[in-house]
Amino acid sequence: MKTREKPLPMTVLAGFLGAGKTTLVNHLLRHPGGRKIMVLVNDFGELPIDEELIATREENILTLANGCACCSMGGDLFAAFSAALDFTPPPDHLLIEASGVAEPKRIANFARAEPDLVLNGIVTVVDASNIEDTRSDQRLSGILNNQILTAHLLLLNKCDLVGTGDIERHKETLLEINASAPILAISNGVLPADIFFGVDSPSSDSAPTEEGEHHHSHESDFSRWSFETVSAIDKTELGELLETLPSSVLRLKGIFKSSDDGELWTVHKVGSYIDFALLTTYGDVSGRTGFVAIGLSNSKLREIMDEAFDSLE
Amino acid sequence: MSAITVFSAKKIITMNPARPTVTHVAVREGKIIATGTKDDIKGWGDYTLDESFSDKVIMPGLVEGHCHLMAGGIWKFVYVGYQDRIDPDGNEWPGVKTLEDVKARLAEAESTLGPDEPLVAWGFDPIFLMDRRLDKTDLDSVSNSRPIAVMHSNFHLMTVNSASLSLANYVADMEIEGIAIGSDGTPNGELQEMAAMFPIMRRLGINFREVGRSRESVIDFGKVCNRVGVTTAADLINDLPDEDVAEMTDITNGSDYPIRLMSLLNGLAQPAEETSARALELKKKCTDKLRLGSVKIVTDGSIQGFTARLRWPYHYNGAPNGIWNIAPEQLNGLVAILNDAGVQMHIHTNGDEAIEVALDALELAKIQNNRPDLLHVLQHCQMADRAQFRKMKRLGVAANLFANHLYYFGDKHYELTMGPDRALRMDACQSAIDYGVTFTIHSDAPVTPMAPLFTAWCAVNRLTESGRTLGEYEKITVAEALEAITLGAAATLQMDHEVGSIEVGKWADFAILEDDPETIGADKLKDVGIWGTVLAGEKHKIP
Repeated sequence: MKTREKPLPMTVLAGFLGAGKTTLVNHLLRHPGGRKIMVLVNDFGELPIDEELIATREENILTLANGCACCSMGGDLFAAFSAALDFTPPPDHLLIEASGVAEPKRIANFARAEPDLVLNGIVTVVDASNIEDTRSDQRLSGILNNQILTAHLLLLNKCDLVGTGDIERHKETLLEINASAPILAISNGVLPADIFFGVDSPSSDSAPTEEGEHHHSHESDFSRWSFETVSAIDKTELGELLETLPSSVLRLKGIFKSSDDGELWTVHKVGSYIDFALLTTYGDVSGRTGFVAIGLSNSKLREIMDEAFDSLE
Repeated sequence: MSAITVFSAKKIITMNPARPTVTHVAVREGKIIATGTKDDIKGWGDYTLDESFSDKVIMPGLVEGHCHLMAGGIWKFVYVGYQDRIDPDGNEWPGVKTLEDVKARLAEAESTLGPDEPLVAWGFDPIFLMDRRLDKTDLDSVSNSRPIAVMHSNFHLMTVNSASLSLANYVADMEIEGIAIGSDGTPNGELQEMAAMFPIMRRLGINFREVGRSRESVIDFGKVCNRVGVTTAADLINDLPDEDVAEMTDITNGSDYPIRLMSLLNGLAQPAEETSARALELKKKCTDKLRLGSVKIVTDGSIQGFTARLRWPYHYNGAPNGIWNIAPEQLNGLVAILNDAGVQMHIHTNGDEAIEVALDALELAKIQNNRPDLLHVLQHCQMADRAQFRKMKRLGVAANLFANHLYYFGDKHYELTMGPDRALRMDACQSAIDYGVTFTIHSDAPVTPMAPLFTAWCAVNRLTESGRTLGEYEKITVAEALEAITLGAAATLQMDHEVGSIEVGKWADFAILEDDPETIGADKLKDVGIWGTVLAGEKHKIP
């Protein structure tokens, strides 16, 4: 067993068979935004990766030329987690493609319990073209509801295959089950890595993200807001503030000095999931503190965020 | 011509209705050449008479149709179960009956460990969870510096001490599901489900899958079987990579290895076409003592873990319905592909909805391509109702019923999971007989101890741990139970033309018993003494 310097952020990708998880994973592996992503999939057979992307191929691990890797779980989550945590070079992000009938929260719990992992959210993909059929099958409806209910970010996929009225109706259905998770209508599994994995906080020196690129879906471009501050912040107050942000704020990350203990803390938010962690145990920080959020650009992100953080100071 | 050995016995129960009991069995080239009296046999020529079993009872070697190789390797950990057990080397491990006994057992083991070794125990029984739960303070009294982990018998829970908790940084209430919190607001040491157990297991180097794979485990597994009269056993799920197959072939080929081992390929670890191709490839690697080529498919979870898939009215205590490991649509595809390719399937189904979905998948596959050469089996099949047994009969599907559950978990099923109506008809052996469904009964060792005569006792008496009779109607007779643990199991493994009865042409695989299971009394079936076994005519006395 290896011990990591800092915990590996883990995102669970849930959704039924055919919802478009694999297409989305393929898209993220091609456009990782400078991140070294490790993907755990049930098996490679379901993840057709273009040969030219593959650098090396071992029994159950593929490495890609861009630094990403793909590990086949073969149904053994225990071994897959061990392999991911021991992998060299250590990945920046772990993405678990849950099986179509998995309850994502059970998998997310691994990240909450394991000190070398940190939960970066549950993303559930829902197939806009057959959500109603699945919901009417009582053998499956409970699991679909569970996948929707426990998601921190909901992706309504295949929106190019259904009419606008259907999209709105499906969004209402999703909202009835899970009122707190942002819902994004997408097509062909195309979603920027910044939304899926979250934006990097101002103090990190990661490669440039995909900001500036325009990702068109039915309704949205995404925009970014950031804010640097050295002021000490009350953690409880910050938590309360984050809870009031509208769901158009898709993800937020930050590093700040806590007024309670004077220590540096990180915070990240996706949907209703907010996680605080003490930073100082994870080595040197370059000293920059602040927050960065990404949201729907037609939602007055800047006004919302500026107003919220003004109230904090 | 090879020599003939004739074994004489007080009684030989053959399971061959044409000659149900005899006194002599003649063996040549590892196979049965004749049964009957000395006179019946002598026409085959000269023989050596072996009278070492003259005061014993011989039965066909018992067949365990659902267990796991880990039943051998698990003994590298300390046993702290409630029932008496015997380890592969014959050491008796009396059941620990109180929490004080548990602590004493752990303290004794602790004193033998090196400075850096963690103390890992297994088999802790849920019976102790009724009044006061085991917690970290109990284990801290054994050691407050050495990490301790006590795995419960269901493998879904563990209790650890403070030294283990701090390794995984479980020191405060982090509101994580599965990390139980004590009255002082800190983790009390009980960890529920794999997510919460993983950080401890990772740090203490506990890996149950590896435990089953090791050479020692495969060898110890043979010893476990030998002690309970088993000569053929099915390891119900395995990844079966080439190196493991090579090692299993090597081990089982040894003349001292006392069983025929079947090992089933995990059908969910790769796409359906790959599973099918690999199963056919494995089938070519079969030997007399290693059987490969069948596939295990796990559909739902366990009843006691509230993860079985149930039909209305679902759980008695209102717990939410269980989990799927494969979506019903996907199962249809997988089953059709394997059936078409000629691969036998053993499908894990506990709840009645999982049974329904599996039977629907088999029905669809058989409408396309009936393949009468294949006997597919529903494993556990605990909650099947009579309509489902009728459907199994129509489809030609067999059942391996989890009779040990009646004893170990029956009270919980009556009171909590299923309620009286459904608990009284679970693991319905009589219904299988009523409708002519090929069936056997199993232990799922190490989940419950392997001992087919105990499993038979469960099916005959249907007594729970507290002494409740769990359904009078579904009791079967001793004769029926003995057939289930021999020919019945052999049939589910598609080996009934080779083992399961003492008949001419079959392997000379015997269980050698000290008592007569047909006359000892239904209530004492589990107490029949076992001398050892004979495999292909070779004696394997329990050491």
